Amino acid sequence: MRLAAFLLRRLLGLVGVLLGMSVLIFGIIHILPGNVAYAILGEFATPAAVAQLEAKLGLNDPLPMQYWRWLSALLQGDFGTSIVMSRPAASLIAEALGRSAVLAALAFGLVAMGGIGLGLYGATHRGRLADKLLTLLQFVLIAVPEFFWAILAVLIFAAWLNLLPATGYAPLSDGVLAWGSHLLLPVLVLASGLVAHVARLTRSSTIEVLDSRYVLTARARGLGERRVLWRHALPNALLPAITVLAIDAGLLIGGIVVVETVFAYPGLGRLLVYAIERHDLPLLQVGMMVVTAIYAVANFIAELLYAVLNPRIRVAGAAA
Amino acid sequence: MPLFRRTLIGSSLAAATLAFRPAHAAGKVLRIGISTSLSTLDPMMVTTGDEYIHANLVFNGLARMREDLVVEPDLAESWTYSDDLRQWTFRLRRGVKFHDGQEMVADDVVASFRRLLDPASTSPVRSQYDMIDSVAAPDAATVVFKLTIPYGGLADILTDRQVKIVPRGASDLATKPIGTGPFKVVSYTAGDRLVLARHADYFEPGLPKLEGVELRIIPEMSVKIAAVQAGDIDVVWDLPLEQVKPLSGRADLRIDSVPTASWDGAILNNAIAPFNDKRVRQAFHLAVDKKEVVDLTLFGQGVETISPIPPSHPFFAKDVTVAKPDPAAARKLLAEAGHPNGIKLPVILPVGRPVRERLGVTLQQLAKAGGFDLQVQRLPYSSFNAEVSGKAPLYIDGFFARPTVDTSLFSFLRSGGSWNERLWHYNDATVDRALDAARSSADPAVQKKNYGDVQAALVANPASFFAYSVNYACAYRKSVGGVKTHPMKWFDLRYATLG
Repeated sequence: MRLAAFLLRRLLGLVGVLLGMSVLIFGIIHILPGNVAYAILGEFATPAAVAQLEAKLGLNDPLPMQYWRWLSALLQGDFGTSIVMSRPAASLIAEALGRSAVLAALAFGLVAMGGIGLGLYGATHRGRLADKLLTLLQFVLIAVPEFFWAILAVLIFAAWLNLLPATGYAPLSDGVLAWGSHLLLPVLVLASGLVAHVARLTRSSTIEVLDSRYVLTARARGLGERRVLWRHALPNALLPAITVLAIDAGLLIGGIVVVETVFAYPGLGRLLVYAIERHDLPLLQVGMMVVTAIYAVANFIAELLYAVLNPRIRVAGAAA
Repeated sequence: MPLFRRTLIGSSLAAATLAFRPAHAAGKVLRIGISTSLSTLDPMMVTTGDEYIHANLVFNGLARMREDLVVEPDLAESWTYSDDLRQWTFRLRRGVKFHDGQEMVADDVVASFRRLLDPASTSPVRSQYDMIDSVAAPDAATVVFKLTIPYGGLADILTDRQVKIVPRGASDLATKPIGTGPFKVVSYTAGDRLVLARHADYFEPGLPKLEGVELRIIPEMSVKIAAVQAGDIDVVWDLPLEQVKPLSGRADLRIDSVPTASWDGAILNNAIAPFNDKRVRQAFHLAVDKKEVVDLTLFGQGVETISPIPPSHPFFAKDVTVAKPDPAAARKLLAEAGHPNGIKLPVILPVGRPVRERLGVTLQQLAKAGGFDLQVQRLPYSSFNAEVSGKAPLYIDGFFARPTVDTSLFSFLRSGGSWNERLWHYNDATVDRALDAARSSADPAVQKKNYGDVQAALVANPASFFAYSVNYACAYRKSVGGVKTHPMKWFDLRYATLG
C-alpha cells in the first residue's frame, strides 16, 4: 500500500516535471536569437521571401496559441514536422534515438559494471599499488573532457594505427563486426569519464560501509570476508551508486552530443545540434522533450530501485 | 591479479575486434567528407554548399559551368536569343532519361521553371529569375523563355545550383529526388551519409566512370582529416585554409587550393553614421592594407579585390589604381569628416564562421593606426540576418560565389537592389548606369568595359569593404583521379576515377 502511494506520488511528479519542461522548452526556444525563416533561406533571405515563409510556417500567431497547438498535437501523438527537412519529426527522432540508444545502453552497461567493479576492487585493495594507479587513472579520466579523448582516439586508432573506422555508423545488416567496430570507440569514450565517476563513488561508499560497526559485528560472528562483502556491505554501498548512475544518465545524454559529433555518429545528439543550428523549432522542441522524458524516467527508475533496496525511503516518503 | 586478468581479457577482445576492421567500401565508390546534414534533396530549395554538391551530381540544368568558368550546354544542345535579348530559345538534347526511366522533354523543363517561379513553392532563389515572364514548349525539344527586360546573361544564370530540371508532376523531391544527372540517390540518412549510385542511362556514353559516390557527413574537421589519412574517405571537401600548407607535404594526399568568387568583407552601412559619409568609407580603405589582411586571415590562400569580381576573372579591372594604404592620410580624412580624434565603434563578428571571425580581429588590429578604434563583439551567425544585417553600422560577413558577374553585383550595388537595401544602401549613378548597360548586352567586350567602370567607381566612392576573394581547397587521396576542384565548390565527377 505504502509502495503504491509512493509510486503514484512519484508518477504525478513525473507528469508535472514534463509539463513544466514543455513550457520552459517552448519558451526558451522562442526567445532564442535568430529566426527560422532566415535560417532556412540562408543567403537568399530577401524580406519578401522571409515574410512568405513565416506565414506558411504559422510563425505569426501569438505564442500561447502556438504553444497550445503544439502541446495538444503532442498529446495526441502528433510530433509535428521538421520545417527545415519537411519530414515527420517522429520518424527522424525515432531513427536517431534508436542509434543513440544502442550507444547509450552499451556505454551505460559499461559504466555500471565497470564503475561498480572497479570501485569494489579499489575498496577491497585499499592503499595498494593497483588501487593507487586506478585512482590516478580515474582522476585523469574525470578531469579531461570527452572531446579530447574522442579526437585522440580517432587519431590513434584510425589515422595512425589504421585499425578502426574513424567515423560513422554501420547498421547491423552490414555484419556484427562492421557494426561493432563503428561502436567501439564512441562507447569507450562515452563511458570513460562516467566509469571513473561511478568507481570513485562506489569505492568510497564501500570503504565507509566496510568500516562500519555492523560489518565489524558480521566479521566478529565469524562470517567469511566474501559473505560480508556481498551479503552485508554491498547492498548498502550500492545506494549512492544508483543515485549517481541516474544522474549519470543525464551526463550521458550530454556526452552523447559531443561523442556523436566527433565520431559523426547519426544519433539524437547530432539531430539536436542540427535542429539548433538550423532553427528547426518543431524538431528541436520534440527532441528536447524526448531527452527530458528520458532523464525524468531514469530518475524515476532510480527512485524506485532506491525504494526497493531501502525500505526506509518509501516509509519516510509516505510519512512526509 | 583479477585486475590483470580482466585487462588481459579486455585487450584480447579488443585485439580480436581490431583485426576485423571492415574493408574499405567495395568497388569504385568515391567517399567525400562534407560538414553538415542536407536539409533537403530538392534542388530548387538547396542553400548550403553541402547541398549544392548533391544538386550537381544528381541533376542537370539547361547549361553548366566548367571549372574554368566557361558556360557550356548541358541538357540544352544549343541556344539563340533575339536581338533585343528579350526572347531566348533553347534546343534540348534528345534521348535523355530521368532516373525513373522516363524521357526528359520540353514539358519537363517548362514544369521545372513554373515550379521554381511559383511563389507558393518558396524557393529561396525565385527572385533571381523574376526577369522570366513566360516559359513555353512549342515542341518536345524546344523551350522558349520570354523576358520582361533585355537580359544578356540568361544562359549563364541557368548554370546555377537551384535551376535544375526535374520530371513534371514529381512530388516529394525533398526526400525522393529524381533527376537526369550522372548519379542517382540510393539512400539518405540525416547526420550520416547520402549514398549515390551510377545512373546507367546517363546521356553521355561511358560516363560516369565511378560506380557510386557517398557524401559522408562529418562535422569535426580534425576527424575528417584523420579519416582521409586513414583512407576512410577519399576527399575532404572545403578544407580549412590553415590546413593547406601543413597537409601539402603528405605523400598520400593531393591538396588543391583554387581562387573563387566567394568574398568576405566588412559591411559598412551607408545609411547610418559614421559610414554614411563617403570620406569615412575612404578612410577605412586607406587605413588597412588588404595584402596583409589576406596573409593574416587566409594564410595567403586568397587575393585582395575591389568588388565581388575576383582577380582571376577576365572582367577584373587590372588597370584601376587603388591607393596604397596610408594610415596618416586616413586620419586626415577622418578629421575632415569631423572626427579629429578618430572613430570608436563596435564591429560585430559571426560566431561559427572562423575565417570571418579572424577577418574581424585582423581589421580591428590593422585599422587602429588609421584612427579606427574597433570593439569586437561576437554574435551567433544564425542571428545575423535577423539582428545585425541592415542595423549595425559595421560588421563582418561574406558571400558565396554566384555563377555570373551580373548576379554577383547587380542586386548588391544597383540602387534599390535587394541585397543593397539589406546590407549597405549604396547609391552611385555611375555604378547604376554601368550595371544596367552590362546586363543588357550579350557582348563580353561591352560587359567588360562596364564592369571596369563599376570597379573604378567603387574605388572612388566605396560601397563597402570587399576584403578579398577567398580560395577554396580540397584534400584528395592520391588514388582519386579525373577531378578538378571547381571554384563554385560543387563537384563534377563524371570523369572521376579511383585507382
